[in-house]
Amino acid sequence: MTAALFTAVLALAAVPVQEPEARAWTIQAERVYTGTGRNMERSIVLVRGGQVSAVTANADEEKERTQDVLRVYAVTAGLVDAGVRVTNWTSVEQSNEVTPNLRVADTLDPFALDWDRLLRSGVTTVLASPLDRNVIGGLGVVLKTAGPETIAARTVKADAVLRGSMGSDPSAGNHPAFGRPTDFYSRRPTTRMGVEWEWRKAFFDTALNHNENDPGRATLVAALQGKLPIFIQAWTTQDIRTAVFLREEVQTRPEFAAAGMNKPRFVIDAAAEAWKEPQLLARSQTGVILPPFPPAGRTRENAFMAWNTAKVLKDQGVAVALSSHGSGDLEQRLSVQAGYAMAGGLTFEEALAAVTSIPAMLLGVQDRVGTIEVGKDADLVLWSGEPFQPGARVVGTIVDGVLRYEGWTAVQGATVER
Amino acid sequence: MLSILLALAAAPALQNDGPLAIRAKAVWTGGGKVLENAVVVVDNGRIQAVGVDVAIPDGAELVEHDGVLTAGLIALHGATGAVGETRDGTRPALPEGRVGLAVDLRHLDFVALREAGITCILVTPDAAGITGGTTAVVKTAGGTVLRDPAHLSLVFSNEGLSGNTPPTSTSGALALLQNLFAEPRGIVAEARAGKLPCLFEVREREDVRRAIAFAKDKKLNGALHGAALAGEVAGDIKAAGLSVIVPALAIGTPKRTLDAVIRLQKEEIPLGFGLDTPWNHAEALRLSAVMCVRAGLDRQAAWEALTAGAARIAGIEARVGRIERGLDADLVMWSGDPLDVGSVARRVLIGGRSVAAQEEVR
Repeated sequence: MTAALFTAVLALAAVPVQEPEARAWTIQAERVYTGTGRNMERSIVLVRGGQVSAVTANADEEKERTQDVLRVYAVTAGLVDAGVRVTNWTSVEQSNEVTPNLRVADTLDPFALDWDRLLRSGVTTVLASPLDRNVIGGLGVVLKTAGPETIAARTVKADAVLRGSMGSDPSAGNHPAFGRPTDFYSRRPTTRMGVEWEWRKAFFDTALNHNENDPGRATLVAALQGKLPIFIQAWTTQDIRTAVFLREEVQTRPEFAAAGMNKPRFVIDAAAEAWKEPQLLARSQTGVILPPFPPAGRTRENAFMAWNTAKVLKDQGVAVALSSHGSGDLEQRLSVQAGYAMAGGLTFEEALAAVTSIPAMLLGVQDRVGTIEVGKDADLVLWSGEPFQPGARVVGTIVDGVLRYEGWTAVQGATVER
Repeated sequence: MLSILLALAAAPALQNDGPLAIRAKAVWTGGGKVLENAVVVVDNGRIQAVGVDVAIPDGAELVEHDGVLTAGLIALHGATGAVGETRDGTRPALPEGRVGLAVDLRHLDFVALREAGITCILVTPDAAGITGGTTAVVKTAGGTVLRDPAHLSLVFSNEGLSGNTPPTSTSGALALLQNLFAEPRGIVAEARAGKLPCLFEVREREDVRRAIAFAKDKKLNGALHGAALAGEVAGDIKAAGLSVIVPALAIGTPKRTLDAVIRLQKEEIPLGFGLDTPWNHAEALRLSAVMCVRAGLDRQAAWEALTAGAARIAGIEARVGRIERGLDADLVMWSGDPLDVGSVARRVLIGGRSVAAQEEVR
């Protein structure tokens, strides 16, 4: 594209660095990708009170325009990353393998630099989860990547998902008791089998034993009743199968039906090898979050992820979201992943949905974020060119109507008028 | 040729237990008040009189001091005399642990403190687990314990967590703290009832927020210690009514950290300085205040943080922190302005007795 296509104009004075205000914006774009199937050329998105107030191609709406004008090539909804890890080991309570009631929100730091990194890549909403070193790690929180400097004020949905893991992450490094004293270092489980058994034990204990003193019980009950989605990490084919079969066991065993706890909702995270048995996921109506494409062919757990993974799943009718899986790598940014998924066969529309509306739906926050629609949160990404293409970059990120990231001057040919 | 002799044992004067009068060029009594050519009379370990026209009692030893006389400095966070005894790693919560009983009050590490003009120190348990016990205030000479317990230490910093003893997570630690206060007993009950202040161990700004939320929920009072950038959430701290113990500052401390301290003072949050002895040198206490003054902190506020303000945080303001009739005769004779690092403590008195002296060699 030419430099003429991309011009950013800030009509008023510079946005203060410290406490930017929610403004009324007029965003003029060559392309407005709303994510609702309604894509518009040379159109305007109006923002007022932190929400999208109008999306129009009609020049007559000129009178509604505000003085704050941003002129960019393209605008999309803010990206939604359902797989970030902005935590460290203090998000893991190692004294137990099953900690359903542990809140990752307790350990998040609103001052962490990770938020800025996410913001610069156009990510405005994330699911933050504990590190996957427990079998059932705890409660994830959906929050914005920018805003007031408190976690509570940024939260979109508290206790949004129950997070856990299949596979070898929760057992990696654990010692067997043999040959050394049984102590704190002898964490269980030590095998894939053991990990699966912990899941099943937690579920059966919840359905059959009414131990009201168990601090995690209420969380597990809600999860088994389907009131709280269960996000379960499973990279490899066998772990994906294990997760799906576990859910089917809960759905079919009479003990769970008798307790009214037979309707768990599963989302498989980091399902790198989901392409091998896509019918299984379609049959179980399980949502899928893909990890970033591996630079060296193999992901964690030595799983192989094909370029067309998203396409194969999508064609089977599986809801697929892309994610960075918490990686800070430039190549593994969510916007880059959408481009890779297009290289694997997704259309632009499908790729956009996989980083906006689909993760928003999986997280249960689709009424607020994921598309550009009147009344939704004004979370917008401003692009210098066609989104997800290598030559385009994020030149601005608006969260709740506040311009939280400005990247204009870093782009050759961009101009800023104050 | 200028060199300085440390006369540790045998100071020539101030050996008797009778009344003593010090006439100094300037007496900083506290609260910003300075008396020129004033006299301080000391007897029975206490300050008996302060003023310009004070009569010198019969038989009193008179000391002429060509410098500044102030109250002794108060360091707020350290392990002097109890190194290796401030952490019991066998259990995450040891609220009844008393550092005050572990301190060797005659440990030689106290010498460096009193030579630096520090006459009181708040000795604290390590910031490990969720609580390591209670703090205590001791004098740096004479074997006096001023207050024990002084605070219940509560840990909100992730530094307090260990990878190999539970709790290992922020959430797990909060759950244990909630349990501890759910049916409080003993020292925890005293803190819960507001009778004993708490020392909230923090590091990051978000730790400060977590501590404040907990303090509000349980109606606890006390001081935050350990967060260099606490001043960036000064509004929250002010609203919670907590004090702040600023960790020791040094020549290399970034401007941002110093500015954060100034923001605390602008919000009128009570301040003191933590020293973390014996890992920091005793002179780091006065240097901390000097660094803040250099960055723009009000001189008076800096001095208060070293003396009367620190005394309030430690709960010993009725005994020390100012030069006032009835208070302990913990006094420092400085060669010049004590907020100038070029000045030294010529002589230090605790309870009216000389405990350190530096004589110039001619």
